[in-house]
Amino acid sequence: MESMFTPYAWLIPILPLLAFVVLLVLGKTNKTFGISFSIAAIFASFVLSLLIFWERLADNASNYVWDGWNWLEIGSFQISLGFEINNLNAMMLVIVTVVSLLVHIYSVGYMHDDERKTTFFSYIALFTFSMLGLVIAENIVQLFIFWELVGVCSFLLVGFWYFKPEAKAAAKKAFIVTRVGDLGFFIAILLLFTYLPEPSLSFTYISQVFTTDLVNQIPDHIQFWIALLIFVGAIGKSGQFPLHTWLPDAMEGPTPISALIHAATMVAAGVYLVARTYDVFLAAPGALEAVAIIGAFTAIFAAIIGVTQNDIKRVLAYSTVSQLGYMMMALGFGTKLALAAAMFHLLTHAFFKALLFLGAGSVIHSLHEQDIQKMGGAGRYMKVTTITFAIGALALSGIFPLSGFWSKDAILVEALHYQVIFFLVGSLAALFTAFYMTRLFCLVFLGEHKGKHKPHESPISMTLPLVVLAVLAVVAGFVYTPFIPWLATWLTGEEVGDHLSWTVIFVSSGAALAGIILGWLFYGKKAISADKVAASIPWLYKLSFNKFYIDELYQVAVVKPLKVVSYLLDRFDEYVVDGAVRLTAGATVWLGGVASRLQNGQIQLYVLVTIFGFIIFVLALIGRRFW
Amino acid sequence: MEASLTSYLALGAFLFCIGLYGALTKKNAVIVLLCIELMLNAANINLVAFNKFSVSVTQDLTGQIFSLFNIAIAAAEAAVAVAILIALYRARATSNMYEINELKD
Amino acid sequence: MFENFPILSVITFSPLIGILILAFINRENGKWLRIVGIATTFIPLILTGILYSQFNKASSASQFTEHFTWLQFPLNLDGLRVESLTLEFNYSLGVDGFSLPLLLLTAFIVSMAAFASVNIKTRWKTFYILFLLLEIGILGVFLAKDLLMFFIFFELTLVPMFFLIGIWGYQNKERAANRFLIYNGLGSAIMLIAFLIIITTAGLTQVGDTANYIYTGSIDTIMQNLNDPNSYANTNVENNPSHLSEAMQTTVFIMLLIAFGIKLPIFPFHTWMLRVHAEAPPAVVMIHSGILLKMGAYGLVRFGVLLFPDHALNWAFVLAVLGAINIIYGAINAFSQSDFKLILAYSSISHMGIILIGLAAFNDIGFQGLIIQLISHGLISALMFLLVGSFYERTQTTAIDKLGGLAKAVPFMSAALLFAGMALLGLPSLSGFVGELLAFMALFEKYPIVTLISTLGIILAAAYVLRGVMKITFGPLDEQLQQQVKQDARLIEVIPMVSLMAFIILLGVYPSIVTDITQATVVDFLEQILSNGG
Repeated sequence: MESMFTPYAWLIPILPLLAFVVLLVLGKTNKTFGISFSIAAIFASFVLSLLIFWERLADNASNYVWDGWNWLEIGSFQISLGFEINNLNAMMLVIVTVVSLLVHIYSVGYMHDDERKTTFFSYIALFTFSMLGLVIAENIVQLFIFWELVGVCSFLLVGFWYFKPEAKAAAKKAFIVTRVGDLGFFIAILLLFTYLPEPSLSFTYISQVFTTDLVNQIPDHIQFWIALLIFVGAIGKSGQFPLHTWLPDAMEGPTPISALIHAATMVAAGVYLVARTYDVFLAAPGALEAVAIIGAFTAIFAAIIGVTQNDIKRVLAYSTVSQLGYMMMALGFGTKLALAAAMFHLLTHAFFKALLFLGAGSVIHSLHEQDIQKMGGAGRYMKVTTITFAIGALALSGIFPLSGFWSKDAILVEALHYQVIFFLVGSLAALFTAFYMTRLFCLVFLGEHKGKHKPHESPISMTLPLVVLAVLAVVAGFVYTPFIPWLATWLTGEEVGDHLSWTVIFVSSGAALAGIILGWLFYGKKAISADKVAASIPWLYKLSFNKFYIDELYQVAVVKPLKVVSYLLDRFDEYVVDGAVRLTAGATVWLGGVASRLQNGQIQLYVLVTIFGFIIFVLALIGRRFW
Repeated sequence: MEASLTSYLALGAFLFCIGLYGALTKKNAVIVLLCIELMLNAANINLVAFNKFSVSVTQDLTGQIFSLFNIAIAAAEAAVAVAILIALYRARATSNMYEINELKD
Repeated sequence: MFENFPILSVITFSPLIGILILAFINRENGKWLRIVGIATTFIPLILTGILYSQFNKASSASQFTEHFTWLQFPLNLDGLRVESLTLEFNYSLGVDGFSLPLLLLTAFIVSMAAFASVNIKTRWKTFYILFLLLEIGILGVFLAKDLLMFFIFFELTLVPMFFLIGIWGYQNKERAANRFLIYNGLGSAIMLIAFLIIITTAGLTQVGDTANYIYTGSIDTIMQNLNDPNSYANTNVENNPSHLSEAMQTTVFIMLLIAFGIKLPIFPFHTWMLRVHAEAPPAVVMIHSGILLKMGAYGLVRFGVLLFPDHALNWAFVLAVLGAINIIYGAINAFSQSDFKLILAYSSISHMGIILIGLAAFNDIGFQGLIIQLISHGLISALMFLLVGSFYERTQTTAIDKLGGLAKAVPFMSAALLFAGMALLGLPSLSGFVGELLAFMALFEKYPIVTLISTLGIILAAAYVLRGVMKITFGPLDEQLQQQVKQDARLIEVIPMVSLMAFIILLGVYPSIVTDITQATVVDFLEQILSNGG
């Protein structure tokens, strides 16, 4: 089939960039125009993405690569800027543009009273540009460029309320912690550049090398390190253990941002990166194992923390970390189907987690409160928010037939095929997930209203995206069910055999239901006192409540030593290096002082010295003859 | 006995050394000045002696004329030097060389 | 276009026009002094722009060369049984792919710094005259094709800098100026000795087939002689005082490394530049950090590496390690500074390390990384110090503990500061990233461990930049500052800020704009280095 729209895919990121420029230039003078323009631009991107996606649906649509723009060319080495469209990133394009569009619309209501709203819109336009650029990047350096750009946008948006000290700290932390991961990614690029047979870094070439015999030219341990270091980049971006600490703190940013960046798109970029370079990982089983283990550990670890947090957004943030761990775990299984399952979960998670965040934002917008212990009874006042939030929560918990159920099912089936332990961990994480979501829902929407503000439903610009996302959260799961695995076939290009497993369906549903019932007993019916349970295992509660002291650990193990070393080096510079300089200077002054004693102002002494000098000179002249 | 060049030169050297010793050691500025004159005259003796005993057969009087110049310059120099000494004496009320160390620093 | 027109001389000495006009303006007439001062800097800028358009990118040779003999001293030496021996000083200018980008950078940064000097409050006349004199010196350094010419122009930058720091600086300006002069004077002395050794050995050249010989400082001739196994410098026979032995070559190379290492600066010769950064007025630091430091790198490559390629290659590992030390040492020290200017000073040290890394790789990618890093750091640090000057004018301090929340009071300047910070920490799509990427890529193959250690600088850079920048702009704004800081950037400040930002983005988004010019020259350089040194 002739591809009509695909060659214009570059327009998809360019349009938001245009919106960014327009907002930057006109933002201050004409707010309404700027914001309308950026929504129009992202809408156009969305439509174009859909058209391209539709083109990709055709059988055997070949990957489209354009690398016409030489970014840098040195001798035989060349980095171009271009784009590549394949099934994987066509799907990502749709996810990003749809969530971004909805968040744009939502923000009109949410940021209505903020005087810097055009700045806000310009940032998300820039973010959307960067994220879309990341998705369609044609080579790994280009991906890295946009990878850093999304990081900066995230930084800017987390620190959007720059005057708040917490926002400042969170933004800084987000940037620096992810940069640790980025360093890993950077080194992976260096390794690729050094060890690839030819100096090309395009994805096409990389996967060509790693899927053919050419891979044998790269030593095994280097293959392992390349994959592992790419994964380190993904760890940083996707908030995997041990670099997850920035993500919950990043909740200081405006809520629409949490939905867009820290739930649906940017944090999923890590998963996308691993999926994009999956051929590299397939060549390095050791790295795959690391991916699976870290993913699984993060999934359960973050879920445990999520149970005890009291900030509505932090609960969701830990949930995000946990779900990303889920995706990573699936990627670690090392099969094409697992890849499809992970991407499927990325898709459904983008919808229901964005929905949950936007719902939370709606609650915060109306209550001006984020502590769930101080909330309650919002359900009576905010019908749309409550219902959509409930749908999101159920989808996240994995209740049949919502989207989360299918995607979790897909992952767990793969886990069962891979190793049972991962299946068990996944199920346990699912149980925790269901539990903390129920807790959240009960504390926020049920019970009695506690705050001073009377809650009110949010404006239509905010509820509309909620409804759309709720619909998506319900239906998105049907693209890949055990009965019709369409997405897997489409993504992997292979026929997918029967992978229906009733065990998985029962266990995962059971875990979800158990979690919900437990949560209900604790927080809905209050049949079991949460405080008493916490008191009976105080150490576990404390560990979970304090997020396993990871932040404190970093403080002690990294930040403090760095400060000490820095202080010591500063002293070193002052006293040793500069001291040596001052010593030299002092010695020179002292020597000059000694020499200047000769200069006592007595002309007779001067003459005497002159004469001695003259005599020596003459003697030397004479002596030369006898040499 | 015919006086040889050496004896003239020896005389010149003696005079010069005496002058130098005096110029370097004497306290009184006037005596230092006198000693400088002595050194100049030692040079004059050399000039004249060299002229007289030179191998040159032209018999010109370059040496003698040179020494005449020297005497004239020495006179001028003495006048300037004495003027400086008087000015110095007026300012510092001393002609002691050891106390005159304005060149310091 | 310029067959018979001495365009390079015109560029170099065009600031003299301004000096001449300034001499006739009343010293109280601040407005006109400023107008003339700023306007004059545009003459070389426009001329270099024209030069750029006429430059032949495909050629690696010096272009638009001008050459004539300036002074000749007849000499004679017992050891050389020659008819006549002459010491020759040449007036020789030329531009190639390595010097052109730096020339453009110079003209541009000086213009931007001229804008920034509106913050100067006293003695405008002297200021602008010295300022323009400094520009002549810098332009000459990048164009000189003769060792002595280079040296003279190099010295010409020291004197105006000394006064610019000493008269218009902050509290401890005199000490800083002294430090500057002594360190750089020492560097120059070492450089002069090295140059004289080179001239009297490798500079000895036979004129045609005659028995007349000259000592010349012409770089081309010297390179030829050094690479020619039959030249006097390379002939080890008795009674040849012009023989440059291996040991002597090493000595000269080390001397040049130290001389230019002081300028660059390479650890441990860096303490002088901290004071200059801290004490000099912003307009002067823009030039100092933006261009003068680059003269060190330029000289090191042009003289140290190109004249003594085999020694440079032998020392590649040392250069790489010095680079790594610079990067890490500068970055860690920057982290604990409380004065924003010192953070930037240490960050300059860190960034100069990347230049050494690029150099140590000795391949085309590394060289391109080096050049891009030179340009990029010039632009970024100029922008940074422009901003520092503007902030200082409003707050009267650069101690980061006393600042905070200024994004509320001066949003544009804060945004620009954040932008500059992002560029400094190497954000891709801005210029800083390209140099880092290329330098690390180039060296990784050769010395992976050193490179890996150096890459830690990427994280450290994020830490110190964000610490400094966010302390100033983020957080709550206290009452007193709110009273003090009212006006955001004025137009005359906005113009250079936006121009600098535009070029930082341009270089980040389209680095080929520089690599295109330099590629032919870089390839040629490498050929020379590897064929003569390998």
